[in-house]
Amino acid sequence: MLINSFNLFISIVLATCLVILQETMSNIFWLISVDMPVSLGIFLNTYFNNLYAMNLSGAIPLIALIAIGFLIAYLVTKIILIWVKVSKSYAYAFAGAAAVLAIVLLMPLAFYNLDILAGGRSILGKSILTFFGLLSGYYFGKKLEKQVVT
Amino acid sequence: MNRKIFIFLLTFISLYTYSKELNYSYETIADNLSHPWGIAVIDENDLLFTELSGQLRLVEDGLLKPEPIKGVPEVLFAGQGGLSGIILDPNFNLNKKIYIAFSSPDKGKSTNTLEVISAKLSADSLEEVKTIFKASPSRRTAAHYGARMAFLDDGTLLVTSGDGFNYRERAQYLDNHYGKIIRINTDGSIPDDNPFLTRENAKPEIWSYGHRNLQGITVINGIVYENEHGPMGGDELNIAEPSKNYGWPAITYGKDYSGATISPFTEKEGMEQPIKYWVPSIAPSGMAFYDGNLFPEWKGSLLVSALVPGDVRRLTLNGSKVTEEEILFSDLGRIRDVVTSPDGTIILATDGPNGKLIRVVTK
Repeated sequence: MLINSFNLFISIVLATCLVILQETMSNIFWLISVDMPVSLGIFLNTYFNNLYAMNLSGAIPLIALIAIGFLIAYLVTKIILIWVKVSKSYAYAFAGAAAVLAIVLLMPLAFYNLDILAGGRSILGKSILTFFGLLSGYYFGKKLEKQVVT
Repeated sequence: MNRKIFIFLLTFISLYTYSKELNYSYETIADNLSHPWGIAVIDENDLLFTELSGQLRLVEDGLLKPEPIKGVPEVLFAGQGGLSGIILDPNFNLNKKIYIAFSSPDKGKSTNTLEVISAKLSADSLEEVKTIFKASPSRRTAAHYGARMAFLDDGTLLVTSGDGFNYRERAQYLDNHYGKIIRINTDGSIPDDNPFLTRENAKPEIWSYGHRNLQGITVINGIVYENEHGPMGGDELNIAEPSKNYGWPAITYGKDYSGATISPFTEKEGMEQPIKYWVPSIAPSGMAFYDGNLFPEWKGSLLVSALVPGDVRRLTLNGSKVTEEEILFSDLGRIRDVVTSPDGTIILATDGPNGKLIRVVTK
């Protein structure tokens, strides 16, 4: 139970860090495209600032939003896995992807079609964010599989 | 003895402060209004105003006419969209022409755009309604329209066009109307001295660019002042000039609502700096220049209405610098617009579904 909670926490933190990475990169890449003097130092500084600000000083703490999404998606997956026999890593990967995609798609509905996560405005952005959700879910599923084996 | 002097001074300072704070009072012109948004003063007792939900209303001889003015085009009343900015033609007394900016739904589509019409005001309806500007391309969002207007001294019309929220980067490109100040003639044609008229792939109506959501604009002695909402922090007061780039979103003093850094840069060569910015945000919503005699201590000030927390900022200008800021009318809630009347009174529109028009008078 304790190990599962720890893995769940790591999965949520991983997704949060990756979503923030995508948010940072989408802004930084555009700034580079308009000849703003972006250096590696500025990129890293912006990323670490975002890690703090998007969780502690934004309108909604991102980590809490992702935690809610993942908890719901993982719970549903756990129930489904009682009847459906598929690899846990794949099932939870799908759940993680679905959770992040749901967050990206549903948030605008609450804000007059406004994308609060600017990195998720384009189809490419949505796809990358979903992929990061998939990776985080895969990590969680893989850890669960390892526990079963040991 | 010292104690007596101290008490006397304290009493004097208290009375002075009290009288200074309360040298005005409020009169309600109209209440129970549906999101009042833009005001156009006709004379001391008459004015027109828009309600975001789609009504154009007339106050005549100080009294609100119960029926809205007919003939107003269909608007998209959603999010921040609706019937918005209004301005009288400089020759209104002769031609009765007015201009209205609003969010216009695209027929049969889920998109909408900023549209400006000209029309002739008759007794209780609009006539000769003509579209003179439509922002392109259309948007899916219902936010950041700008939708304020001002006349330049040469009779051309400036229209503020917001960045549409989701389309912020496009404010830096000239092939669209997001995040721009537009300059047109009153018949919708394009002035032949517009700065990007001959530039390839540029929209010829563009006058300045790199703006976010400009909701206040006024022209004083030929100088164009505009205020715009920043994101979380970074609201700006700018002096707008033709062809200039105001930087959004490449440079900004604000952060995104998610907390993310939109840009780590606040300045760059070739991009203009605001003459004032606010962090945290005040959500500047309207702007007027006070040139009346009723409040002589405010003469020559710029009045900026603010939604957050809800007040009017009186800014003292010295050339292109703001030298003083005073907070006024902070007991009325969110203020959507501020205008001045020829009699020197100030008229405010409070925001929301039960909005009011309030006249500020001397006590």
